[in-house]
Amino acid sequence: MFLYNHWYVAAWSTEVSGQPLARTLLNEPVVLYRTADGQPVAMEDRCPHRRAPLSLGKVVNDRLQCHYHGLQFAPGGACVRIPGQERIPASVSVRTYPVAERYRWVWIWMGNPDEADPDLIPDYRWMTDDQWGAKGDRYHVKANWQLIVDNLLDLTHLAFVHETTIGNAAVAESADVKVTRGPANVLVTRWIIDQPPPPTYAKVGNFPGPVDRWQFIDFTAPSFLRLHVGATPTGTGGPQGNLEGGIQMRNLNCITPETESTTHYFWAQAHNFDPHNQAVTDLAFEQVSTAFREDVVVFEAQQRVIAHCPDSKEIDINSDAGGIQARRILARMHDAETARQSVPA
Amino acid sequence: MTEQGLQSGWVVVCDSAKVTPGEGFGIALGDARVGIYRLDDGSLHAIGDICTHEFALLSDGFVDGDQVECPLHAALFDIRTGKCHGPMAFVDVPAYPTREQDGKVLIFV
Repeated sequence: MFLYNHWYVAAWSTEVSGQPLARTLLNEPVVLYRTADGQPVAMEDRCPHRRAPLSLGKVVNDRLQCHYHGLQFAPGGACVRIPGQERIPASVSVRTYPVAERYRWVWIWMGNPDEADPDLIPDYRWMTDDQWGAKGDRYHVKANWQLIVDNLLDLTHLAFVHETTIGNAAVAESADVKVTRGPANVLVTRWIIDQPPPPTYAKVGNFPGPVDRWQFIDFTAPSFLRLHVGATPTGTGGPQGNLEGGIQMRNLNCITPETESTTHYFWAQAHNFDPHNQAVTDLAFEQVSTAFREDVVVFEAQQRVIAHCPDSKEIDINSDAGGIQARRILARMHDAETARQSVPA
Repeated sequence: MTEQGLQSGWVVVCDSAKVTPGEGFGIALGDARVGIYRLDDGSLHAIGDICTHEFALLSDGFVDGDQVECPLHAALFDIRTGKCHGPMAFVDVPAYPTREQDGKVLIFV
């Protein structure tokens, strides 16, 4: 199940250049490149002539030239050259996708282009804010995208999957959890009071004693998860609203489906302590990277089990409240998109 | 004595200020779990907190008017009476008499 009328991260800005980049998004083959003046372009990665992927070709004067017979396509998608042929029928073109560049990512709109308003791109300002340091990655995950949404909305797994980095027993057993929801949004608020800091927090925070740790998980449909996490020394008023005096981080996730069973997992870790110290940025990134690679192992194993027996049942536990609300929002949006028949064929 | 081993009668369960409109406040009374709610009209109510479908705490769910929706599978329970309106759950939860005194919430078990 995909939702089309949304922005998705297609690539890190650094991935898109004058060399074509092939990337499957929502099961559609897309080619991305950059014109000479730096504008990103996204096209259907399929020559309408004999269906060779255009990404095999090269960029010539801002046009994408097919590697096979040299047809050239302008950034708007129109075919502007067919070698050995004087006239080009107006119908020869490839689909293009609205793109926008923001927060160090190239975003793409996979649905009805008339609705592609860049103001709908969710706020990831910590990626570019001078008061924050941020570093991220893209993982290719052989699992359905919704398994990753589930994962980030139920952080009790940190106690079991990530005990060497961002997890400890307290995160599963001692959390005060609250779930609120809106039409396209779920907020899970978790407070873990007066507990030892997990290994990562001990490394980057130098806490002398127990901490009050918070995890505010903002899910915005279809697959944006922005986590405000941090800790302050116990007794300094964190739960009452004073989040200063410890560490604060943003864990930023943009989950882009590749196919029904594979996903481009874009993520970054941002920190507001010592924001210009590359060693701190690297340390925060490496810690989370270690944890997220542990998650990928789980996602891919889940996917294999699910694929083996797709009709097997699942049960729900208390900590699923946030994830269940998210799934319900996604199902409702999918029904609405299907009813409008605005999904491209 | 009730089946949970509690003395039958009025029991102080929390400060009045803990119970605000729009969300449940869950407490444990022996083995029993009770959810306390304040409706928009200021009235106070207490109903069994464990969904009769699967284990979930209704006080973690979503209050809408005088109903609470289970956080897992969306079964609806009447906050005034404990009556279940489904889906998936079909058995009511108990309702407990409540009163407030000296800034405290009391329920009758």
